[in-house]
Amino acid sequence: MFGVNRHWATRLIAACGLLSCFAVHGADIELYTYEVAPFAVYENGKPSGLLIEVLDELFKRSDLSYQIQFVPLKRAMITVQRQAHKCVLPVARSQEREVQFQWISPVLITRFGLYSKPEQSFPLTTLIDAKPYRIGSFLGSGIGEYLANLGFTVELSSTTQQNFAKLNRDRIDLWAAELISAKHIAQANGVSLEPQLVFYTALGAMACNQNMPQAQIQLLQTQLNMMYQDGFMGRLYHSYGVDI
Amino acid sequence: MQTRKLSKYLLAILGYFSMYSTCYSDIASAQWWLKNELTPSTLSYPQQLEEMQWFIDAAKPYQGLQIRVVSERIATHQYEATVLAKAFYEITGIHVVHELTGEDDVIKKLSAQIMTGQNLYDAYVNDSDLIGTHFRSGNVVALSDFIQNQGKSVTLPSLDLADFIGLQFTTAPDGKLYQLPDQQFANLYWYRHDWFSNVQFRTEFKRLYGYELGVPQNWQAYEDIAEFFSVHVRRIDGRKVYGHMDYAKTDPSLGWRMSDAWLSMAGVGDKGLPNGLPVDEWGIRVEQCKPVGASVSRGGALNGPAAVYAIDKYVDWLNRFAPTESKQLNFTQAGEWPGKGVIAQQIFWYTAFVADLSQPGLPVVNSDGTPKWRVAPSPVGKYWQSGMKSGYQDTGAWTLLNNTPIDRQKAAWLYAQFVVSKTVSLKKTLVGLTPIRRSDIDSEAMTQQAPYLGGLVEFYRSRGRDVWTPTGTNVPDYPHLANYWWRHISQIVEGKITTQHGLDAFAADVDKHLLALSQHPHPCSPKLNPEKSADYWLAQPGAPKNKITSAEKGRTLPYQEAINVWR
Repeated sequence: MFGVNRHWATRLIAACGLLSCFAVHGADIELYTYEVAPFAVYENGKPSGLLIEVLDELFKRSDLSYQIQFVPLKRAMITVQRQAHKCVLPVARSQEREVQFQWISPVLITRFGLYSKPEQSFPLTTLIDAKPYRIGSFLGSGIGEYLANLGFTVELSSTTQQNFAKLNRDRIDLWAAELISAKHIAQANGVSLEPQLVFYTALGAMACNQNMPQAQIQLLQTQLNMMYQDGFMGRLYHSYGVDI
Repeated sequence: MQTRKLSKYLLAILGYFSMYSTCYSDIASAQWWLKNELTPSTLSYPQQLEEMQWFIDAAKPYQGLQIRVVSERIATHQYEATVLAKAFYEITGIHVVHELTGEDDVIKKLSAQIMTGQNLYDAYVNDSDLIGTHFRSGNVVALSDFIQNQGKSVTLPSLDLADFIGLQFTTAPDGKLYQLPDQQFANLYWYRHDWFSNVQFRTEFKRLYGYELGVPQNWQAYEDIAEFFSVHVRRIDGRKVYGHMDYAKTDPSLGWRMSDAWLSMAGVGDKGLPNGLPVDEWGIRVEQCKPVGASVSRGGALNGPAAVYAIDKYVDWLNRFAPTESKQLNFTQAGEWPGKGVIAQQIFWYTAFVADLSQPGLPVVNSDGTPKWRVAPSPVGKYWQSGMKSGYQDTGAWTLLNNTPIDRQKAAWLYAQFVVSKTVSLKKTLVGLTPIRRSDIDSEAMTQQAPYLGGLVEFYRSRGRDVWTPTGTNVPDYPHLANYWWRHISQIVEGKITTQHGLDAFAADVDKHLLALSQHPHPCSPKLNPEKSADYWLAQPGAPKNKITSAEKGRTLPYQEAINVWR
């Protein structure tokens, strides 16, 4: 059931031509996500990436169908708050958001590191060793805000790719990036990067409408836990070059 | 709780340390840290050196390992993450990434590690409020066993567990120690000592209320003082002032406002320390170690007359005496208000804010650096009786999970002991003001610091430190049950439901979850009592308690007498 719905949605996206213009109905649950390579991307007429593989497996195990749309996070969160049978992911489960949704977590476990240019090395024993440096992050990642709140000098760009370019042009000293996406960007640019310090672990959650049936929430949470416990998630992350 | 003072301090020493960081190793490195940072200490220099030599030797099998630990974001942990983790690395060769995040996130990560089986962190600094969860779960390492067995070779001979003031909070009914305290702070009464000393205010207060303006000993006195400043004084030096400050935004922090022992202050639970037995301050009754219900109909007290009184007072004072904005504020936002110089008193105030409210230049700090404010033991409600806990104390404690690989557990245990060792802990206490060791509290360094800390040292030198206590072992699933607090109390605050009906629904939800937990095979798993009439339970001795209809008379004490109450 899941596969049929997803392919139907894919065809609709292709026909529509614009990711955010289509409306999908008929699946058990409608999901919203946003494009961050290599977690969720829209390539060759279909969504793909680590997160999409998680969802495929999760919904298959739960015997539920889903449809997915790529929508800016802010808009997606407002929609999910208002409409039943909808969820958005991945979302940081903050105290402020806790009250507004039901939660299935963690759909992603991500670690953030500080990267320097390949030929440079910064001896970072603890995070505060990075205090004298300019750190690049991107708007909406959450990690830029985390560092700024701790008093670091953070320069925000609109995409994480821009930070890679800024790092190479010495406009920032360190790039604060999620490990899998940083590896992906570095590989796409033909270089190999290793983090100077892995400093933060984040849990990405699926935020669902308050009126979504409890039974569905519990079923998805149970199956998600099993995917970690039986090694599926570990193998999946490893295939993307990172261990959880 | 990041402070400007602490940040500047950390930056300054960062620059200093970076010059040396690659020049030293092992004992030479330890000597450098002892001379330049880890002073004062309750140990002599040779004793400190001996302790460091033990760490160097014990850490050898784990040199080169990188471990990850996580804690909440308060000044004490900021010091650990930035300074002590670096010292530990240079002395032992074990690299520690000490992450800082919100306490709610710490709990989510700990829960995620248990649920998924992924070793997200090698150790957590987790509030001891989860002790009832931990000992029943089977997922947490019993440290008292670990110390005797797998962890014997990595347990500091001079750890001196008897010196810790909070071990009773982290020990379960099975007699085992599950967590090692890392930092403690209490929730006390805060007030403007300068305003309370003002002769004109004192005269006017006595004329209106018939007794002296002083540190309130009961809720009636707190209410009278709140009314006095909000309604009668109203303005000081041209600024509007308030006799009460609080917060009520629908947010998980509203839950802490209640679950951090508000009901104990009202007197909802039974006598007993660190928590009431058989009924604790969550209104949960236990028989043996089994939770049997929160509803009055099952012998609990969560929806009893005393709990209704506690919530009614919270809402009433919020509406009548606090700034209008307070209803829209969460814990963090409300924490800034006392420093503005417009709040006369606050009944529910965490001493983790002491450093923040001691910053030079604040309207609440004198030019000589001493505070214009004081903290004192909290006033209690009309159901409270001698022998009951009187308020809340937070105990952030090192917690190891069973699913962490043993070599990583051992390395993390070494770091945990390092940051609470006698070599380190006095300096850490002076930086973060969250004492854990009796020897530190009684030290000369703390005596010298006392005049600048508004009563904090006096409180921790008193028996009060045993009477202000964390959530206890009656609560079998803190992460889940904690959510009920803010979800139900917010409905009452917003006026959507009466206090009685809101607490009835709350207690029913707790009972329902206790029933679900009763399926878990453990000698201390919940087992619900059969329902009986409320009259039956209210007629029994102790909690749940019958309604007290008589009014209280306000009672106050001068500051010195108030802090001596618990001597």
